[in-house]
Formats: sequence, C-alpha cells, structure tokens
Amino acid sequence: MPIIRFLNEDTFVPVDSGTTILEAARSANIALEAPCNGMGTCGKCDVTLGDGSVVLSCQYEVTHDITVLVPNKTAENLAVKIISKGETFEYNIAPNIRKDFNGSVTQVWGGDLLLGEELGDTSALVYGIALDIGTTTLVAELIHLNTGDIVAQESMLNPQTAYAQDVLSRIHFASEEGGITTLYDSFLSAFYALRDALSASAGVDTQYIYEVIFSGNTAMLHMATGTNPVPLGKYPYISNIDDGEVIAADDYGISPFGIVYLPPIISAFVGADITSGILASRLHKRKGTVLFIDIGTNGEMVLAHDNQLAATSTAAGPAFEGMNITCGMRAAPGAIEEFLIADDDTISIKTIGDQNATGICGSGLLDIVGELARTNIVGKTGRFDKKKKDIFGELNGKPVYPVSDDVILTQADVRQVQLAKGAIRSGITALLAQLEVAEENVDEVLIAGSFGYHLREESLLNIGLLPAAFRGKVQFIGNTSQSGAAAFLLNAEIRDEMKSLVESIDKIELANTPGFEKLFIDSLNF
Amino acid sequence: MSREVELYEKLSEAVVEMEEDDVIELANEVVAEGYDAYQAVDKGLAQGMERAGELFEEQEYFVPELIVCADAMYAGLDILKPHIKTDAEGTKYTVVIGVIEGDTHDIGKNLVKIMQETGGFNVIDLGRDVLPSTFVDEAVKNDADVIAISTLMTTTMGGMGEVIDILNERGIRDQFKVIVGGGPISQGFADKIGADGYSTNAAESVRLLRSLLQ
Repeated sequence: MPIIRFLNEDTFVPVDSGTTILEAARSANIALEAPCNGMGTCGKCDVTLGDGSVVLSCQYEVTHDITVLVPNKTAENLAVKIISKGETFEYNIAPNIRKDFNGSVTQVWGGDLLLGEELGDTSALVYGIALDIGTTTLVAELIHLNTGDIVAQESMLNPQTAYAQDVLSRIHFASEEGGITTLYDSFLSAFYALRDALSASAGVDTQYIYEVIFSGNTAMLHMATGTNPVPLGKYPYISNIDDGEVIAADDYGISPFGIVYLPPIISAFVGADITSGILASRLHKRKGTVLFIDIGTNGEMVLAHDNQLAATSTAAGPAFEGMNITCGMRAAPGAIEEFLIADDDTISIKTIGDQNATGICGSGLLDIVGELARTNIVGKTGRFDKKKKDIFGELNGKPVYPVSDDVILTQADVRQVQLAKGAIRSGITALLAQLEVAEENVDEVLIAGSFGYHLREESLLNIGLLPAAFRGKVQFIGNTSQSGAAAFLLNAEIRDEMKSLVESIDKIELANTPGFEKLFIDSLNF
Repeated sequence: MSREVELYEKLSEAVVEMEEDDVIELANEVVAEGYDAYQAVDKGLAQGMERAGELFEEQEYFVPELIVCADAMYAGLDILKPHIKTDAEGTKYTVVIGVIEGDTHDIGKNLVKIMQETGGFNVIDLGRDVLPSTFVDEAVKNDADVIAISTLMTTTMGGMGEVIDILNERGIRDQFKVIVGGGPISQGFADKIGADGYSTNAAESVRLLRSLLQ
C-alpha cells in the first residue's frame, strides 16, 4: 500500500494504489482547494511533489510512496475582500420574536407561537442573526430585536469552497457518498465560529439569540440546513425547500427554542438572496422600470415594470471569479482590480493591497477587456487586432497582451469573458422582451452583490455586458442579501408580503426560451 | 488553373470570409457550368468550413463567426446538393448526438453538430435532456458509428458514464465509439468513464472523429 507523506502537514497517509492525491488529502482532512471538485478543469489544486514536479492533485494517481507539498492558501483566503453593507430602507421594528415578562417568567414568542419561557425578566436580552450565505463568503450581523441596533458584525470565507467552488460543483459534491453531511458539517463549523465571534464582540450570551435568517441562493439554503440539493442540479431543477419556511434551530447552538427563517426562494437558480435584494432595494415599489442584477457565476436578475416582476438566471460561469483565466485569481492581495488606458496610451494599474501584480481578479478582468475593447486593441468580434504589433507579446507562438511584467491576457481569456458577458447580456435582453420593455426605457439599473460592488459602469458598457442605453443609470447597491436579511429579521409582516410577491414573479427559464441560442450568439460580440 | 478548380477555391474562401452572397453566386455558377457538384462541396464548401474550424481552434474566430461561416456553407449546400450524383458521396459515418439527461443547455451541442455535419458526417440529433438508454437505443436503431454526448453542468456528467455502462451490459460496447464534451468535461473524466474520446471544442471534435474511425 503506497504512503503519501504530506510534508507541511506532517502527516503520512496510506492509500490504495490508484487513489488520487486529492482523495487522500480529503480522507485525512487536509485542506486542499479544489474549486472544480476534482474534474481536472480548473487547475487550482496543484501540489509540488518531492522531485520538484508540480501536478494536479485531482488527476495524479498514487502508485508508490511519494511526498507532497500542499501550498498554503490560508493567508490568501483570509485576505479576500468581503462587502458586508448593502442598501436598505426604512421599516418599522416589528420582529417575529417578541419577549413578554409576566411577573415571574419571560415568555418568548415567535409570531403567535409560544416558543418557550425563561426564569426572571430577560425581556431586554433578545437578539437575532442576519446571515448572508454567499457561495464564496459568509456575512453575519448580530442585531438587537427590540431596537434594531446592529451590535456586532463578522464575515469569513465560506469553508465549503474548499470542496467545490461554484454552485453546480457543490451540488455534485453533495450527490457523492457522505457529501451533504460533509458540506453541512462544514457550514455548521463556520456558523459556530461566526456566532462565537459575534457573541464575544457584543458580550451577548448565545442563549439569547432566538432567530437566524438564512439569506442565500437556493443551493446554499439546502446545504446550510443539511437538505439534499441534488434535484436542483438536474432538469427540471426541483427545490427540496419550501417557500418562506421556519425550522427549529436545534443544530445551530443558539437559544434552545431558537428558530431559523428561510426567506422565500424564487426558483432553483434565483434564491432567497435575490428575494432579500428585491426587498432591500424596494425593487417592487420603485417608480418606473428597474433592472436588478447580481453579477456572478449564476448572474441572477429581476426586471420590474408596471407592477410586474420577471426573473431569470444566466449560466455566466466562473470567469468573473478569475477561473479559467490564464492569470486569474481571487480578489486577494496582488490581484489587479483596476486597469485604465489613458488618452496618451499610458497604462495605470491598481492592485489589491498595492502590491506587485501577480494576477487578475474579476473586476480587473472586466476593466482590462473593457479598455482593450474601447481602444480597439480587441475588435468587435473579440479578436486581438494584430496590426497593432508592437502592443502584443508572445507566448507559445501566440500573441498575448502584456498587462504588467508578470501578468498577461490571452485571446482565450477574452473568449471566456465574451461567453460570461454574453450569458448575462442575453438574459437582460430576454427579460426586457418578456415584459415588452425597450432598453432605453429602463430607468435604473441596480447592481447587487460583492463582486458587482467593485465594478465600474464604464467597463460593463465597454464590454457590452450592459447595453449602451443604460449609461448613467447604473447604481451599485452592495450586499442587499445581507441588508434584506436584516429587514426580514426585524419585521415579520414583510415575510407574508414577500411570499406573495415571489409567487407572482414571472420565472423565465432561458434554455427553454424560443430563439435563445441566436440571442446568446448575438450577445457575444463587443 | 482551370475555372473549375478556381471556383472550388473561391467557394472555400467565401465560406471562410463569411460571404454568403458570394457563396450563392459561386455555387450557381458551378451548377450552370455543369461542374461536379460533389467536388464543389468537398473541395470548396467543406474545405472552407475546415479552415474556419482551424481559425476557431486558434481562437481567431469565435462562435458568431463560426455560425456565419456555417450559414454561408449551408446556403451553398442547398444549391449544390440536388446536383450531386448519389453514388459520388460514398458512405458516410453516422453520429447520434445529444445533451445528457437533466441538462437543457444545448448551444454547445448544436455547434458540434454543425461542425460534424459540415465535416461530412451524418449527424442524428437526439436533442437535450436525453436518457442514457435513449442514446443507446437510437444508436442501435440508426446503425450509428458514434455516440456523442454533451453537458454543460457538473451535476449531470454522471449520465455519460451510464451510457457506457448500458453499452457494456448489452454487450455492444465495441460497436460504437463514444465521445464526450462540454464545459465541465476533461480528458481525465473521459478516461475515467471509459469514453473513446474527448475534445475541447466543436472543430476539434471533427478531427477526433476522423482519428477514431480510421
């Protein structure tokens, strides 16, 4: 039986011949990031062997004793930027949880339901957590339910990313033996860490936390509640979670009679985070025609026009997270996040942490491709204009655009951006067609989500992710999944209102829309 | 160079350059002059499409250009096809293609179908959300040489392996070449499920077919 020695973990793991390094690492609880869950496509799980060679741990099958050096990505992960604040609105403090001291005991009510009783007067000790469960990041606020005051806030990387980065890979991971248990345990450990940090920072005992709002996409809600998400991953994409559900919080280590509220989900790929976004941005109450977009791997969007809402999601893929991009990386120190070409052709670059550029994160990628498209270094069809010879460098006999000393952009990278932006743009066009609205009649465009927060309107227009008619109408509204979760926590009436609103939303499945293929292909050019 | 050969080259060029009107004009001239329609397709249209595919693989052309090239090619084919003597075509290999059960994303599959058709294969399209057993049944029914399976979603990849399992169970695995492709698919995955081949894009799939069927 071959033995793998994990050098920096100081661990020896005996394995059956033919086991991959990734499988061995997982069995030994060694954190090895594999965003594509071992498909061999993302190239991010590379490790160094004893002989100095670098291999993909998910593809390398062990047949004899080897030593493996796992790269330490903890520092990079801890440094990932997280946007916690989102736009919100005025609402009455009328929480679901109420406390009532009757002279001897304090009753804890969840709506009309008596949840439990505590000895003495504890009526001032009443807290809840608004939790945004992002596929990549978790943001939690501890909120006093009588006053609405945010008494503590914490955030961290979603530890499930170590098993699979994007939603579909994670659903696939859940379908494997023990997969959903692993993901649920991983979520619970993160939840406990956030809960303890909130409790310590505010000096609030965890037994006085009575309700938690889980605001996340449909798959994340499944994984945060230990619910089987597998039917989400196959047509007709069925959710195992009911709309606007309340569940007991027994597993989450808050008050012994605490509860968890799951906001209504719109569809398998338009989740509670978008419902929270609609709520926080008052999308359904705004005047005129308003488009709400969360730019990311799933590119969810909702169009509001004449009191009617239509929603869809688009398979943008992980290019915006730096995946499948030659020099792509997460939004961590060293990542190029801004890029500009001035009128005199001088280039200015801003990296996260103002360090030497080591790669490109999503916002930088859109800036770079946007600027190259604007200056015609990349043509309408996305092709490098090779007549501008002195601009390009060369790699493996092919022209590449030198972004900085160590960072390049290839023609294939531009193609990835075209596919991602084409998916989102075709979704926008399909929604506008559904509600019979012309592009120029859209009054406001709200871009939500932590990725969107770092984008510039100009880049989105330059690459044609948004139509030119949207110029000057774009607002970045931040993490509305979080601010919407807080509103759900603090006002119980909102819950019924949003449940009936969500039922009325026109849900569009793009792949089933006639003419979608032509629309998508037409949306690829700049 | 004879006018005939010149016409074939111009047809090829017009396909690559996405000039549909030129293709129509040139194809009509081939017919009017009584030149060999089969040669015009083979040395003209198909060759042009092959070059377009190469440009696509080199990232010079992207999906929209490839589609426009294919439109031009089909326009020429509509004119020339009625004039091909039936025995000139020889036997064509047959491919059954589809998107695996659980997945409705078929743009990639459609692109592969276009490239294989223009590459001279007889392609039978089973559509999307296709059961593994349907792939096998249709391959048998149509006396196919190749089963081509596509998916965009990580969650539905497992069905590809099922197709191969069914072939094995029925003892007919060696009657068909099985090729797989799509966003989450890799050579490693293809090897793991015992597929005969994998290609990263539509143009490459034509070369893959030729090398498998030699």
